[in-house]
Amino acid sequence: MIVEVSDLQFSYGRSKALDGITLRMAEGAVGLLGPNGAGKSTLLRILLGFLVPQQGRGRVLGYDIRLEQPRIRRHVGYMPEDDCLIPGMDAVTFTAHFGELSGMPRQEAMRRAHDVLFYVGLGESRYRPLESYSAGMKQRLKLAQAIVHDPKLLFLDEPTSNLDPQGRKEVLELIRDISSKKEIQVLVSSHILSDIESVCSDVVILNKGRLAAQGKLSELRTLDYRLYEVRIKGEGEGFTGKLKALGCRVEETADKLLKVYMPANMAAREILATAEEVKVQVRHFVRSRTSLEDFFAQTVGVD
Amino acid sequence: MTIREKGYMHWDGELKEKRFPWWPITWLGIRLAFKRKYFKFILFSALGLAFVFLVGIYVSERIEDFRYMIKGESAVLEVNPAFFKAYLSWNGMLFMMVMILLVGGAGLIADDLKHNSLQLYFARPLKKSDYLLGKANVIVFFLLLITLVPGLIFILFKLLFAGNFHFLTTYPWLPLSVIGYSLFVTGFFCSYTLLLSSLSKNRRYVSILIVAIYFFSEILFKFFFENLKKNPAYALLSLRANLQQVAAWFFKLKPEFAVPWYWSFLILLAVGVAAAVVLNRKVRGVEVA
Repeated sequence: MIVEVSDLQFSYGRSKALDGITLRMAEGAVGLLGPNGAGKSTLLRILLGFLVPQQGRGRVLGYDIRLEQPRIRRHVGYMPEDDCLIPGMDAVTFTAHFGELSGMPRQEAMRRAHDVLFYVGLGESRYRPLESYSAGMKQRLKLAQAIVHDPKLLFLDEPTSNLDPQGRKEVLELIRDISSKKEIQVLVSSHILSDIESVCSDVVILNKGRLAAQGKLSELRTLDYRLYEVRIKGEGEGFTGKLKALGCRVEETADKLLKVYMPANMAAREILATAEEVKVQVRHFVRSRTSLEDFFAQTVGVD
Repeated sequence: MTIREKGYMHWDGELKEKRFPWWPITWLGIRLAFKRKYFKFILFSALGLAFVFLVGIYVSERIEDFRYMIKGESAVLEVNPAFFKAYLSWNGMLFMMVMILLVGGAGLIADDLKHNSLQLYFARPLKKSDYLLGKANVIVFFLLLITLVPGLIFILFKLLFAGNFHFLTTYPWLPLSVIGYSLFVTGFFCSYTLLLSSLSKNRRYVSILIVAIYFFSEILFKFFFENLKKNPAYALLSLRANLQQVAAWFFKLKPEFAVPWYWSFLILLAVGVAAAVVLNRKVRGVEVA
C-alpha cells in the first residue's frame, strides 16, 4: 500500500477537520475529492508531516507518518495549491535548489532541473525571473519542483487551478504521463471532478472529515446505484415524491429533466409503474452513464 | 526528439541524506543577498572600515615615520584591546552591521512567508532547525566577514608588522576575545533579524523595523539619560550601548556606563530567547489558525 491510515483524527481548535479516517490507497493515480472543508488539505498536510494527528496512525510508502517524516519527504513530491516562489531567482536555480534540498548532488540537481523544466514546458523561459511568470507558468514550475528529485509518490493539490483550458489540458496530460507509465504514484486533490475522472483510476471521497467513499472509479460509478434520465408530462411533484419514498434520489435540472438515482436493488420498471400510478406521461426514459459528478453528488449529498 | 516528446524520464541517481542539509539554503541566501541593490556597496564599505584600521596598525608600528602627520595623537593608534574593541563595537561598525541586516537579512523569512515557500522547504527532508540554521548562517557569514575575519587579520598583521610575538605574549587572551565577541554580536544580530523577519510578510516593513528599533532604543536612552538625572542604568535601553557594555567585558576594559555588563548581556540574551520562541511558532509548513 502506498498510503495507509487508520482512525486519523485532527481538529483545528474545536473544529474537527478529520474524524476517524481509515483508508488504504493502492498504486496508481488516486483522486482525493470532497467539498470545501471536507478535510482533503488537512489529510495531505498530515501525510506530509506538516501537521501531527491528534489520534490515529498511518504509513506513507511504508514509513510511519509520526516517526519517519524526513524519509517520507525524501521520496514524496509535493505541489501545493498556493503560488510558491523565491523572489530574485530563475526557474533553473529554483528547481535545482529544491532538488538539492531533497538530497540530490548539486550538479545532478542542476542538470535534472533543466530536464524537468523542458518536460513541463518551461524550457524556453527557464532563465527568466520568477516574478515575471504568469499564473500558468507558476503552476508548471510547482510541478517541476515536485518532480525534480524523481519522487515515488506525488501529492498534487489543485494542480490545474489558475490554468487556461489549453494549459489545463497540457498539465493533465503531464500528470497522466507521469502516473500511467512511469511508476510514480500520484495523489491528486481537486475540486474539478472532470480532472480527477480524466487522470485517476481510484478515488477517495471525504465529507465533513469522514471517509464518504473509496474505490476504483469504474466500480464506484456502477456499484451502488443506477442513474436514469426521465422527462415527464404532467404533475411532477407527486411523481418525485413517490420515487423518493421508494429510496431514489431525484434531482431536477434547469430544463426539467429528472435525474433519478436508483438503489441497486430496485428495478427500472418501477419508475414506469410509479409514473402510471400518479398518472404522468413518460416522454423520455434513458439510462445514463454515471459520471464522477453524479457519484460525488450522490455520496456527499451535494445538489 | 525533445524531452517533452520522450515523456517523463526517471533520474537514475540516489537521494542521499546530507551532513549539512542547511547548506543549500545558506548558499542561496548569500547569492541572493549579492543580487540586492546597494548590498555590495554596503559590504565593501564595511570592509573598507577594516582596511582603515589595518592601516592604523601599520602606522602604529611605524609611528616615528608618521609623526609629522599625527601631531601628538599617537595614543589613538596604540594597538591594544581597546583598539580591537573600538573596531568591533564602535558606532560606525554597528551601523554598518545594521545596514547589512537591512539589505541582506530583512527578507530571509519574510519573503518565504510572503511567497508561501515555507511549505516547499518543509516538504523536503528538512527540520525546522535546518531551515533556521540555513537562514541564520547567511547573516553569520556576512557579519563574521566584517568582524571575526578582520579581527584575526589585525592580530596577524600586528605580529607581522612588529616582527615579534610581544603583542601576543602581552595579550594572549585577545584572539579568544575577538572570536568570542564576534560570535556574540553575530548571534545577537542573527536572532534580532530573524525575529523581525518572521513577524511580517513584507521585507520593507522588516527593514524599517530593523533600523527603527535599533535607533529608537538609542533615542530612548539618550532622552532619559539627558533629561532625567543622567542615570547610567538608562544605557540598558539602548541596543548599541548594551553591545558596547558586553564588548568591554570581552576585552577586559572598563565599561562606558557604570552598569554591570551582565545586565546588558541578559537583555541581549532575552532578545535571543524571544526570537527562539517566536520563530518556533511562526516557522512551520502550514499556517494553523
